[in-house]
Amino acid sequence: MSHMHIPDGVLPFWLVSAGWIVTLAILYISIRWSSGIKLEQKLPLIGIAAALMIVGMTLEIVPIAYHINMSVIAGIVLGPALGFIAVFIVDLIIAMFGHGGITVVGLNTLIVGAEAVLGFYLFRACLSVLRRGGISIGFSSALAALFSLMLSTSLMIGIVHISQINPSEALHNDVQNSGQSIVSHERGYLYEDSNSQNRRIDTVRFAKTVLFLGIFGWVLEAAITGFVIGYVSRVRPDLIFSKAT
Amino acid sequence: MDIGAIDYFANGGNSFLHRASTRYKLIFVALVIASVVITDDFILLLSVYLILTAFVILTRLPFLKIISIASYPAIFALLFAIASWNGNWIGSGVIVFKALDAALATVLLIVTTPYPNVFAALEPLLPKVVVEGLFLTYRSIFILLELIDNLIKALRLRGGLTPGRYLKNIINFSSGIGLLLVRGFDLSERFYGVMRIRGYNGKMAELESKKLDKRDAVPILIGILVLALSLAGYVRNDLSKYYIYAFMISILSVLFTVSYTYIQKSRGLNWKN
Repeated sequence: MSHMHIPDGVLPFWLVSAGWIVTLAILYISIRWSSGIKLEQKLPLIGIAAALMIVGMTLEIVPIAYHINMSVIAGIVLGPALGFIAVFIVDLIIAMFGHGGITVVGLNTLIVGAEAVLGFYLFRACLSVLRRGGISIGFSSALAALFSLMLSTSLMIGIVHISQINPSEALHNDVQNSGQSIVSHERGYLYEDSNSQNRRIDTVRFAKTVLFLGIFGWVLEAAITGFVIGYVSRVRPDLIFSKAT
Repeated sequence: MDIGAIDYFANGGNSFLHRASTRYKLIFVALVIASVVITDDFILLLSVYLILTAFVILTRLPFLKIISIASYPAIFALLFAIASWNGNWIGSGVIVFKALDAALATVLLIVTTPYPNVFAALEPLLPKVVVEGLFLTYRSIFILLELIDNLIKALRLRGGLTPGRYLKNIINFSSGIGLLLVRGFDLSERFYGVMRIRGYNGKMAELESKKLDKRDAVPILIGILVLALSLAGYVRNDLSKYYIYAFMISILSVLFTVSYTYIQKSRGLNWKN
């Protein structure tokens, strides 16, 4: 649910550009970080983990674009660096299928990538703490998924909230009253001087809607992640406990 | 989202968009997206959507299928529009049509271009590992879809997905996904190994010439025109009153393409063949 299906042109240009710049910087660091390993061995795993995420994202659980991400599974299996690369690939492909805007790929990669990276570290942290108490790998991954999804959804709400802060508008606030609107009835409807004024989002309403829908998704995805990782750890533990990249 | 059908459309068609160069189709999509980002005019966004609809009709692919694939982002755009509702339906319409325009332009590219061509065209822009990852991911989707089909059948036959037993269903379904991950990884690894043995070194073959051809003219000209209209309205707001003419032309283009394909009796021809 934390994946933003926001179309092109809705979010301000400075924000989507910033999203792309930060994503490309992290992507560069991730590629440099993973340059020490034999990528030929990891590429098929990137391919299949990314494909699993795409299939998960395209299966609507409830017909309001409500789906599971499986990004935490990708993070646990691939590690933070390769997990982030996989998320970027996923976002690029699904944007090509019209599932979210092309310009929003940067921001989406940051949000879903945060799930993968946080999922990996939270999983390892939970495992090191809870294993002593006999708690299973599946439960640790479920907890990691739950907290990662909560954080990434909060990140998404935060991005939507800051999307309403126009830096140039804020800088020129003293000179120009940003609330001024020029009303034109030439075609029978309202024009505003600043187009962004026309699309002020009620962040509280948006947050309430997303969080209300999100809670079910977090629990469901946490359960699925727990069972999947539990299964894979029994069948192919090397996929989960290989050296982190 | 039916990825199998999209792949079939891209490989099976023979329309002017199928024949156009991938590089210029990518530029066309970029121009449309740029204009969608720039403009906030409902009439222009509606006109762009109608022009893209005319393109869909001209590709002779199943119209409703393509439109429904490209309408998916509108669901979330609607949620966004509700969140930003200020009593002005034009504002909500702008959000929804921005989503529809950008998605339809991108979907038009995908349903008329085989995926190796798209990835090859993106190669100069992206790191090698990402291009290889894109290729392997796309291939893996089809491996997974086949495995999922068999898995769901097997689960149903053995009573693994029983109505009313939600927890048991989730456990079985999740174990199935775990199995898919393991099996898919083995198959993907084998597929990648075979590719390497056959000489694949991470570089996609150059499939098309870089020269601008006459077959690329229509998408490029329409893309430039759409961007020019958006820029004109952005620079001088009073020019946007002329968008009504663009709207009329777009309606005429839809009517023309509909009648043209009916006269030729070629609607949905590529799909049927």
